[in-house]
Amino acid sequence: MTQVSCLMHPASVFFIAAFFMPWFKKINFMKPALVLVPVIAIFQINFLPQEFGDVNYLGLDLIFGRVDKLSYVFLNVFTLMSLIAGIYSSYVDEWEQHTAALLYAGSSLGVTLAGDYLTLFVFWELMAFSSVFLIWYRKKRRSHKAGLRYLIVHATGGLILLAGILIRYSEVGNFLFTPIAPETATFGDYLIMIGFMLNAAVPPIHAWLADAYPEASVIGAVYMCAYTTKTAVYVLARGFAGFEALVILGAIMALYGVFYAVIENDARRILAYHIVSQVGYMVCAVGIGTTMAINGACAHAYAHILYKALLFMGVGSVLEMTGKSKLSELGGLYSRMPISLILTVIGGIAISGFPLTSGFISKSMIVTAAGEDHRIFIMLMLLLASVGTFLSVGIKLPYFIWFHKEKPSVPDAKEAHLPMIGGMCIAAFFCIMMGFYPDYLYNMLPYEVTYHPYTMYHLSETLQIIGFTGLGFYLMRKKLVPEDKLNLDIDWIYRKASNPFKNFCGGPLSKLNDIAGEVYKTIGTRSAMLFAKAMSWFDWNGIDYVIDGSAKETLNLGNRVRMLTTGKIQHYIGAAVIVLFAVLIIIVLV
Amino acid sequence: MMGKIFGFLQQKSSILKWMFFIFLAGTICFDFFVPRDGHAHFFGDTIIGFWSFFGIIGCLVMIIVCKGIAHSFLMKDVDYYWEDEDEGIVR
Repeated sequence: MTQVSCLMHPASVFFIAAFFMPWFKKINFMKPALVLVPVIAIFQINFLPQEFGDVNYLGLDLIFGRVDKLSYVFLNVFTLMSLIAGIYSSYVDEWEQHTAALLYAGSSLGVTLAGDYLTLFVFWELMAFSSVFLIWYRKKRRSHKAGLRYLIVHATGGLILLAGILIRYSEVGNFLFTPIAPETATFGDYLIMIGFMLNAAVPPIHAWLADAYPEASVIGAVYMCAYTTKTAVYVLARGFAGFEALVILGAIMALYGVFYAVIENDARRILAYHIVSQVGYMVCAVGIGTTMAINGACAHAYAHILYKALLFMGVGSVLEMTGKSKLSELGGLYSRMPISLILTVIGGIAISGFPLTSGFISKSMIVTAAGEDHRIFIMLMLLLASVGTFLSVGIKLPYFIWFHKEKPSVPDAKEAHLPMIGGMCIAAFFCIMMGFYPDYLYNMLPYEVTYHPYTMYHLSETLQIIGFTGLGFYLMRKKLVPEDKLNLDIDWIYRKASNPFKNFCGGPLSKLNDIAGEVYKTIGTRSAMLFAKAMSWFDWNGIDYVIDGSAKETLNLGNRVRMLTTGKIQHYIGAAVIVLFAVLIIIVLV
Repeated sequence: MMGKIFGFLQQKSSILKWMFFIFLAGTICFDFFVPRDGHAHFFGDTIIGFWSFFGIIGCLVMIIVCKGIAHSFLMKDVDYYWEDEDEGIVR
C-alpha cells in the first residue's frame, strides 16, 4: 500500500491515536484526541473513493477499502458512535481504556471496509483482541474471568471463520468477499456464516454477550454494544442475504433476548440480552433478503447503535455514580439523577418504537418487509418481541432504577459527570431527530426507500401495542419486581457442565501425570543415565578408538613436532642446510 | 428542580393513571377511523382493536411464561458460579 492510501483508510487515524495515547495523556491532549479522531473520521469517510488500498502481498490480492452504499451506512454510524462514546468516556483518566477503545472502533471500520476475507479476518480478530481489554479494565476478578471466556469463545469463532475462508479459497481460488447465493453455498461458506453468526450472538452461540458485556467497564460496555454485533450484521448482509436459516434464527433470537430481559435483574445484563433481541430483527431481515428488508436491517442497525448506546450510557452513569447496577439494589433515584433518567427514557422509548423516535421508523421497516414477504408467523414473532422490548427496557428498566421506591436507594448519589451527559445528549438528539426526519436515515440506505412509516394504520398499531403492553406492566408490576438471582443460559455448558471434565483433568488425569512423572524419574531417569553411561563408554573406547585414533596420533605427532621447534633461527638454518645436503647426496647418488 | 417535578408527578400518580386509561381508550377509538386498505397482511390487520388485544395478551403471557420458566429451573443463587477467588479486584 502506498503511504497515501494507507492514511486514506479511516482506521489508520484511530490506530495512530491509540498508539500515541500514553503520550497524549502526558501533554494533556487525551480528551481533545478522543473528540478529534472521530471528527476526522466522520469527514474522511465522505471522501473515500470506491476502491482503494489494493495490495498484492505474497501473491494474494488484498483490498483494504471498498466503499459502497451498504458499507457507507455502517461507516457513518460507527464513526458517529465513536464520537459519542469518545465524549462520554472522556471523564476516564486511564489512557489504556481509550487505547483499547480506539483500536476496537478502528478495527471495526477495517472490517466494514475490507474487500477480501483475509483483511476482514485480521481486523475481525483485532476487534476481539482489543475489546477484551475493555472488559478487563473493570478490574474485578469476575470481569477477568468473563474476559477470558469472551476471548476463548471469540478465538473459537475466529478459527471456524478461518477454516471456512480457507475451504472457500480452495474451492473458488480467491479471497474476494462477495455475496454468496443460498443455492450455491458449500460447507466452507456455512462455516464462514457460523463464524459471523457467533459475533452476531445468534443462539445457541450467543451466551458470550450476556456473559461479558455486563462485566465490562462502564465505557467498555458503551463501546462494545455498538461494534461487535453490528459489524457481524454488516458482514452477514454483505455475504449471506437471503439465507432462510437466518430468518428463523433471527426471529427466535428476537424473542429469546426479550425473554431473558424480562426476568433479568442486572440492568446491564437486561440491555445485553436486549442486544440479542434487537440484532435478531436485523439477522431476520438479512435472511429475508429483499431490498426493503436489507434497507430495514441497515436502518435498524443505525438506529439501534444510537439508542442502545444511549441506554448503556444511562445505566453506566448510574453504575458509575452509585456503584450498583442491579435493579434490586436500586430505586427511587429520580430526585438524584433526573437528567440521566430523562435521557435513558428517551433511549427506552426509541427502542420500543414510539412514534417520533428512531425505533418507529427503523423497526417497522423490518416488520413490514416480513409482512410483504408473506411471512406472517415471523412478523408476529417480531411484533411480540417489540411487546417484550417495551415491557423490559421501555418500562421495567427505568421504573426500577429511578422509581419503585419512595426514598432513593443510594442517598448520596449525584448526577452524572458533564461529559457523560454530553455524550448522552448527542445520542438522544439523534434518536429524536431521526423520528422527526426519517429521510436523514433513509437517504443513506443501500436501496431506494419507498416505505413511509407515518401512516395512520402504523400509528394506530404501534400506539395500541405500546399502550396495552403498558397496561400489562401496570397489572403485573408486583410480579415483575426483580429478584437478586442468576439465570442460567447456554454458557452453563462451558461454565458448569464442563466441570466433570475439568475435575477429571485436575484430578485423576493430573494424578496420572504425576505418577507417570514419578515413574519416569525413578525408572526412566536411572535407566536413561545407565544407557547414557554405556553409550559414553562406547563413544570413548569404541568410536574414538577407530575414528579418533587417528586424531590421537595426529595430536601425538604434533607434540613431537613441537619438540623440534625451538624458535632459534640458527637451528632452522642448520636444519635447512642438512636437508639440502641430504637432497643433493640423494640426487648425485641416484 | 426536575427531581421536584418527578416527585410531584409521583404524588399525583392517580391522575396519571386515569390519563393513561383515557389514552388506551383513545387508541382503540382511533382504530375505528383508520383506513385499512393496502395494509392487511393477514386477518388480524382487519379486526378493530386487534393490536390492543395482541399487546395485552402478549405482555401477560410473556410475563407468566418467562417468570414460570425462570422459577422452575433457570433461576439459581447469585453465587452459583462463584469461586472463592472471584471476590476482589485485580491489581
